[in-house]
Amino acid sequence: MSTSLRRRALGVVLASAIGLAFTSVAAPASAADPVSLTVGLLQDVDSPNVTVGYTVAAYELWNLQYATLTDKAADDFATIPGLAESWEASADGLTFTYHLRDGLKWSDGEPLTAEDVVWTINTSRDQEWTNHAATTANLTATVIDDRTLTIVTSVPDPKLPTMDVYIVPKHIWESHAGTVDDLAAYDALDGVGSGAFTLKERKANQEWTMVANPNYWKGAPAIDQVVFRVFSDGDAMVTALRSGEIDVAHLVPSQAFDDLKSEAGIVTVAGAQGGFTELAMNGMAGGLGDGHPALQDLNVRHAVAMAIDRKALFDRVVKGQGELVDTLGVSPDSVWTPTLTAEQQLGYDPERANALLDEGGYLDADGNGVREMPGGGNELTFRYAERSDSVNGSAIRELIKGWLSEIGIGLDVSVYDDTQLGQIIYDGTYDMFVWGWTPFVDPDPMLSYFTCDQLTTDAASPGYNDANWCSEEYDALYTQQNQELDRATRVDLVHQMITLFYTESTYVVLYHDADTQAYRTDRFTGWTQQPKGVGPVVFSNTSPSYFNLRPIEGGGGGGDSNTGLIIGIIGGLIMLLAIGGLLLARSRSTADDRE
Amino acid sequence: MRARIVIMKVVGAVSTLAFVVVFNFFLFRVVNENTVESMFRGRNLSESQIARLERQFNLDGSKWEQFTAYVGQLLHGNLGLSMKDFRPVTTVLGEALWPTVLLVGTSTLLAMTGIMFGFRAGWRRRSRYDVGVTTFSMFTYSMPDAWLSMVFLGLFASGLGLFPTGGLEDSGSNATGLAQLLDQAHHMALPAMVLAIAYIGEYTIVARSAMIDTLREDYLQLARAKGLREADVRRKHAQPNARLPVVSLSALNFGFVLSGAIAVETIFSWPGLGQLTRNAATGPDFPVLQGLFLLFSASLIFANLVADLLYGRIDPRVNGR
Repeated sequence: MSTSLRRRALGVVLASAIGLAFTSVAAPASAADPVSLTVGLLQDVDSPNVTVGYTVAAYELWNLQYATLTDKAADDFATIPGLAESWEASADGLTFTYHLRDGLKWSDGEPLTAEDVVWTINTSRDQEWTNHAATTANLTATVIDDRTLTIVTSVPDPKLPTMDVYIVPKHIWESHAGTVDDLAAYDALDGVGSGAFTLKERKANQEWTMVANPNYWKGAPAIDQVVFRVFSDGDAMVTALRSGEIDVAHLVPSQAFDDLKSEAGIVTVAGAQGGFTELAMNGMAGGLGDGHPALQDLNVRHAVAMAIDRKALFDRVVKGQGELVDTLGVSPDSVWTPTLTAEQQLGYDPERANALLDEGGYLDADGNGVREMPGGGNELTFRYAERSDSVNGSAIRELIKGWLSEIGIGLDVSVYDDTQLGQIIYDGTYDMFVWGWTPFVDPDPMLSYFTCDQLTTDAASPGYNDANWCSEEYDALYTQQNQELDRATRVDLVHQMITLFYTESTYVVLYHDADTQAYRTDRFTGWTQQPKGVGPVVFSNTSPSYFNLRPIEGGGGGGDSNTGLIIGIIGGLIMLLAIGGLLLARSRSTADDRE
Repeated sequence: MRARIVIMKVVGAVSTLAFVVVFNFFLFRVVNENTVESMFRGRNLSESQIARLERQFNLDGSKWEQFTAYVGQLLHGNLGLSMKDFRPVTTVLGEALWPTVLLVGTSTLLAMTGIMFGFRAGWRRRSRYDVGVTTFSMFTYSMPDAWLSMVFLGLFASGLGLFPTGGLEDSGSNATGLAQLLDQAHHMALPAMVLAIAYIGEYTIVARSAMIDTLREDYLQLARAKGLREADVRRKHAQPNARLPVVSLSALNFGFVLSGAIAVETIFSWPGLGQLTRNAATGPDFPVLQGLFLLFSASLIFANLVADLLYGRIDPRVNGR
C-alpha cells in the first residue's frame, strides 16, 4: 500500500468512527413521535396469513388485526359480544342467528358486513384453512341482511355460539382465494383488518409494526403503534428490557426471570395457559414398535408415577414457575380441571411403588439393582428419549433417573431433536419420553388427541395420540362431550375423561408450564392478565392488554435519555483516541524502518 | 493461464456442486420421514389437511419422484417454499443475504488488517512487537465469539448504554438515507467488533508464519547484498512471496462470509443468514435449510475456484505444475 493510500484508508476509518459516535445523537425523540409499545419476541411471526402461520407470535398479530364475531372476557374466557352485538339459538341448538353492530368498518374504510363473515366461514370450511377448519368444518353460514347472518351446524356443537375464528376482509382476500394453494402463497401484508391494530410494515427477521385502527368497533386505541421485535437470544432480550428498548418480553429465561423479580420498575408474570410437561410411557395401543412389556402393566405405570417426586422436580427444575397440577391441561380455563380424590391420587410414595412391583413379581433376582420381568426375563431397563430442544430436558432426566433407580428401574437415555423424537414416537420404538402440549381454550382438541382414532397404526400416516393408549370408555365419553350442549354436564364429562386418563397413567403430568413474562412499569399502565390473576399479560388467548394500555404522561424510554447521549459521545471520543494512538504508533514504526 | 487448466478447474467446481445438490437432498430425507407431521404437531389438523401440506411441499410420491421434482425446480432457480410461511426460499434467503454480507464482510475486511501486523511480526521475529502481536492473536483466536458477544453486550449495551442490544435498526424507525445508514452502523458496531476480533488472530498468525518461511530465502540475502533498504527488502521481496497462503486463507474466508456467524448473529439478533440458519434448524424448516446449505456450499466452492485461479496470477510457478 502506498503512503497516500494508507492515509486515505485511515481517513475512512476515522470518518466512520465519527459517524458511529454521532449516531447516538442522531435520533432524539421528537414531540411528533408516535406512542409506541415495543414487544420482544423470541419466536418470530411465521406468516401474517391466517391460513398459513401457526406460531404464538402470529396469533398475537391476528388477535390485534382481526376482530372475531364473539369475543372472550379477559377475566375468565366467557363468551361476550364482539363484531356481533347479540345472537340467538334455535330451539334444537343447531342454528344461531348473529346480529352485527351498526356501522362496522374495515381499517381501510370499507364497510364490514355479514357477507365478510359468511364468506370467511364457508370458504375456510371448503378449503380447509389450517387454523379455521377445526371450528368451521361442520358449519354453514348464510347472509340474512348486511347486519344479520345465520350459522347452522350439522352436528350439535357445544363450542357455539362462541365464534372465535378470525374474520378476514372479503374484498381483499377473495381475489387471492382461487384455491387453497393460491391462498397459501398470498403474503397477507395488506394490513386491512377490523381489530385494534393493523399491520403497517414488516422488516424481514427484525420486526413487525402495527398501527392503531381508528375504525375499531371499541374505538381507536390509546397507543399509536405496536412493534413486535424479534430477538434470537433470551438474555439479549432481557438486556433490551432493562435498557428500555422494549417494554415487555415473554419466554424470559428462568434465571433472568428470577433476577428480574426483585428489580424496581419491572413486573414479572408467570402466566399460566394450561400448557404442561409430561412423562409419557409407551402404551403400545397402536401396535407398532417394541415398547417394553412391563409398561403394559398398569401397576408398573403406577409404580413409576409414585416414584417421581413431582414437587421436588417442580421446585428444582422450573424454580416453581408454573403450577403443580396432577392432571392433563386441556384448556387455560381451570374450570375443566377435575379435583382428584385422595384414593385416586398417585402421590410420591417410593415404598408403595416398590411394593407394587414386588407384588407383580418384578424381582431383582440377580441382585444388580435392576428388577427383571416376572419369572426372570428381561430387565426393567427402559429406553428414555430426551429432547435436545428442551432447556430443562437434562435436569428432568437426571432427577427421574435417580428416582426410578430407587425402585429398581433402569434407564437407557438417548437424546433426540424434536423431529427425530416425533419419528420415534410414530414408530413406537421407545419406552418413555418427556414432552409437552399447549391446549386451546375449548378442551375438545386436547381431549381428541387421546382417542383411538388418533393412534398411529401406520407410521406413514401418524396420529396425535402419543400416549399410545386408548379406551372405549374414554372414546364414548369423548363423543358425548363433543356434542353435549349443557355446559355443566359437559364439564362433568370432561372431568371423568381426564380422571380416567390420569388413572391409566401412560402420561405422568410433571407440572403445568408458565409463560415467563416481564414488563416495564414506567411507560404504560393497564396491563391485563388473561385469565385474571394467573394468565399472561401478552400472548394470551385474545390479547386484551394492547387495547387497555394507557401511556404514562412523561414516561420515557430508557433508550433516548440524555445519559445515553453523553456516554455515546464519550464512547466516540475514546474510539477516536484509540485510532489516533494507532496512527502514532504506525508512523513511529515507519520511521524505525527508515533508519 | 492456459485455457485447459481453467476449464478443468471450472468443471471440478461444477461437479462438486452437483454432488452437494444430491447429498443435500437425501440428507434431509434421511433425517426425517414424516416431516409435515412433526412440523405441525399439536395443531389439530385433519388427515386431508396433512395430505395437502405434503403435496404443497413436494413430500408426496416416492423419493425418486421427489428428487426429480427438486432438481427440476432447482434448474429453474426455484428452491421450493419455506415450510414456515410458504414464501419462496429464494426470497427468504435474499432478505437475509444483505445483512450478513454487510456484517461479516465489514468485519472480515477489518480483520484483514491482521495481515499487516502478521507480516511485520514475522519480519521482526522474536522482537517485543512480535511477542505482543502473537500473544494478542492467540488470545483473540481462541476466544469463543459467543462469549465475547455476551461480554460486549453486557459491557457496552447494557452497562454503558453506548450501543443498542441488537437488530439492524432502531425499532419502529422510519429513517432513510444517511440517518438510516448511521443507525445501521450504530447497530452493527458491536457485532462487527466481536467478529473482527474473532477473525483477526487467524490472519495475523497465518501472515506471520508465511513471512517467517521466507526469512531464510536466498533471494533476501541477495536483495540485501544489492544494498536495498530493509523496508524495501520486506515490501518488494519478502511480502510478495509470503502472500500465497494469505490469499488462500482470505479467499476461503470470503467463501465463509455467507455462512456468516451463527452465534454472533443470534446473540445480536442480526437478521442475516446465520440467524436464519438457527431459526430454520429449530423449525425445522427443511426447504430453507436445504437452500442455506446449497448457498453456503456454492459460495465456498466459488471462493475456492477464485483462489485457484488467483494463484496462477500471483505465483506463476503454480501454472507450471
